[in-house]
Amino acid sequence: MGETRPVHKIWAIIRREFVERVRSKWFWVSAILGPVLFAGIIVFQIVQSLGGAVRNVAVVDSSSIGVGGRVVEALNASNAFRATLAPAGRHVVDSLKDLVEAKQLHGFLIVTNDLVETGRAEYRASNLGMQTIEALQRTLSRLVVKVRLEQKGVNPEVVDWAQIRISLHQKKIFHGGTVEGNATQSFLTAYFMAILLFMAILLYGVNVMSSVLEEKTTRIIEVLVSSVRPFQLMLGKIFGAGAVSFFQFFIWGVSARVLLSLRGPIARALGASPADVQTIVLPHIPAATMAVFIAFFLGGFFLYSAMFAAVGAMSSNEQEARQAQQPVTILLMISYLSILGLTNDPSSTFAKTLSLVPFTTPIATPVRWTAGSMPMWELMTSLVILALAIVGVTWVAARIYRVGILMTGKRPNLKELMRWVRA
Amino acid sequence: MFEPVVVDRVTKRFAGHTAVDALSLTVSSGIIYGLLGPNGAGKTTTLRMIMDIYEPDEGTVRLLGTVAGGRTHSARIGYLPEERGLYPKMRVLDVLVFLAEAKGVGRRVARARALEWLDRLGLADWRLRKVSDLSRGMQQKVQFISTVLHDPELVILDEPFSGLDPVNSQVLRDTVVDYRRRGKTVLFSTHIMEHAEQLCDRICIIARGKKLVDGTLGEVKQQHGGKHVFVAFDGSQGGAARVFADRRLVAKLQDFGQQAELELASGADAQEILKALVDSGARLARFELASPSLHKIFVDLVGPEAATAAATGDQGGHGGDATRA
Repeated sequence: MGETRPVHKIWAIIRREFVERVRSKWFWVSAILGPVLFAGIIVFQIVQSLGGAVRNVAVVDSSSIGVGGRVVEALNASNAFRATLAPAGRHVVDSLKDLVEAKQLHGFLIVTNDLVETGRAEYRASNLGMQTIEALQRTLSRLVVKVRLEQKGVNPEVVDWAQIRISLHQKKIFHGGTVEGNATQSFLTAYFMAILLFMAILLYGVNVMSSVLEEKTTRIIEVLVSSVRPFQLMLGKIFGAGAVSFFQFFIWGVSARVLLSLRGPIARALGASPADVQTIVLPHIPAATMAVFIAFFLGGFFLYSAMFAAVGAMSSNEQEARQAQQPVTILLMISYLSILGLTNDPSSTFAKTLSLVPFTTPIATPVRWTAGSMPMWELMTSLVILALAIVGVTWVAARIYRVGILMTGKRPNLKELMRWVRA
Repeated sequence: MFEPVVVDRVTKRFAGHTAVDALSLTVSSGIIYGLLGPNGAGKTTTLRMIMDIYEPDEGTVRLLGTVAGGRTHSARIGYLPEERGLYPKMRVLDVLVFLAEAKGVGRRVARARALEWLDRLGLADWRLRKVSDLSRGMQQKVQFISTVLHDPELVILDEPFSGLDPVNSQVLRDTVVDYRRRGKTVLFSTHIMEHAEQLCDRICIIARGKKLVDGTLGEVKQQHGGKHVFVAFDGSQGGAARVFADRRLVAKLQDFGQQAELELASGADAQEILKALVDSGARLARFELASPSLHKIFVDLVGPEAATAAATGDQGGHGGDATRA
């Protein structure tokens, strides 16, 4: 009993933090919401592959050369459309409009001689989806090329033979090796990771803050600091909240895996053939990328949590804390707002700078690494900078925390904060 | 004799005012020691310095024989702060186990002892309820349990009975007495003199951060005594007011309405007062010669305004700001 065991105490604090958070309603709401959302995406994709994508369209032929019939033919050949020819008449546009509004028709195409002469046509629909428009444009331009070549006396068979679709097999040179992949995929992976990092750091960092604040407002802090060092308390809190976020990721990861493996049965249950539903492809994430992701998540989480802990300690109620957390949140927002720029050009000077600034490196570096444009030495530099920043920021935060947790009343100004740090 | 707490001329200043001024006190082992004073006297600041939550600007605190500070000895000390608080969303039993663990007690031992204490203080049925479901008095009992759960040899209680109803207050006082009986040391602060009078072996009265008097209860009473008479009326007070106003008989008067505490004028005879009261037509329920009450001594020492503030202005609000004490 006589001797004190610091590790035992920190462990007790971590466990309390973890158990109480995991017991809370909100943890389970978000734990369940993740898989539900994911299942929704899978079901949506299956339903889409079930012919929901075939559009009923009408083609109004106002041309003098009878191009409408060939448009109908070409559209029907594309599998994406079921087209019918509507002879041009006085009220045909109005009646087609009624059909569109009654949802019996997706939309209608009006073609004139312009289609072949200048490449113009008109499409009217209640819902102008990107995919539909692109499919229409693709089909129409192939047809127009064919018709125009025919007009110049080229054999239609030769035209068909000449039209060929190029498929580009993409391989990515990635940290010394070559892996399967394509541009969209690596962009999406990097983007998704960045968002995930941002959300996790923000949500669980704020958790640390509210936990500090709870101990302060309920005044239990005085009992705690009479038996545990403030620094131990702060560490325990950060580790506890971090463990909760890992547990949350774990639940999401496992349920995503399970749902993916159940894709076939779900598809069969909905009446689709499993072969149709290979649309969801999990991007291949190499172990090295995973390691970088985890290292920078941990580092970023620790860095920001220490700051959030200090914010909680210097505030005496929720409102004050919301105000005082703004500088910290803004630091994090800078990374968030740069995600698009980072993923578009991961080797720009802008991206390089962000991965060398301690407060943006937790998000910028994994993104650059995933995009495959970061030499090993740069990664190491970022890691060292992050580690140094963690030591420095934790030191300052712990000093603010130590004084702040016992203070009530007005929030300290910058001058007073400096005094707390120096004290 | 071992002295668990030795405070040597400590001073603490906050933003321009001195909360504690060169205060010394010594608590010897196995006694109940009362730190008394009106609001703002510096009681909480003193206890916080003893617990090493505040660092004194001057002077030293020796706790359990060393200057190492409260946290080092947290396994041997139980501290109940004036600012009460528990995790409102946690279960009662979990809070108790956690707080004991924070003091280095093993999980299983903590659990067993917590159940035992909850049972003893009549809270067994509440062990799995959330703290926020408990009444204020119950929460205070839970907090008291958390203070003694690790079986410390020294217990420091800051205003332990404030905000409790008479029944619960009595339960806790019995527990404190029982604790002393088991050879432990108790140091507590209060501004309720009746509690101090019932419980304390030794007291120290402070005001405005300075010590006014300390010693055993008997010593303090003797020093500040004088002959005292307690009078209680049974209905009619007759001409008692006239008798009380007679300076030849009564030097000082504490008039509580149906009761009064008189300090005899020098050379006056208590029998004379009794006769005068009966003659004046007052009906007496009690007439007792005694040493002065602690309350009386307290009022004399700290001045009536401060004492009135202490007697009425207790509950809630004070001490929240670190610049007050």
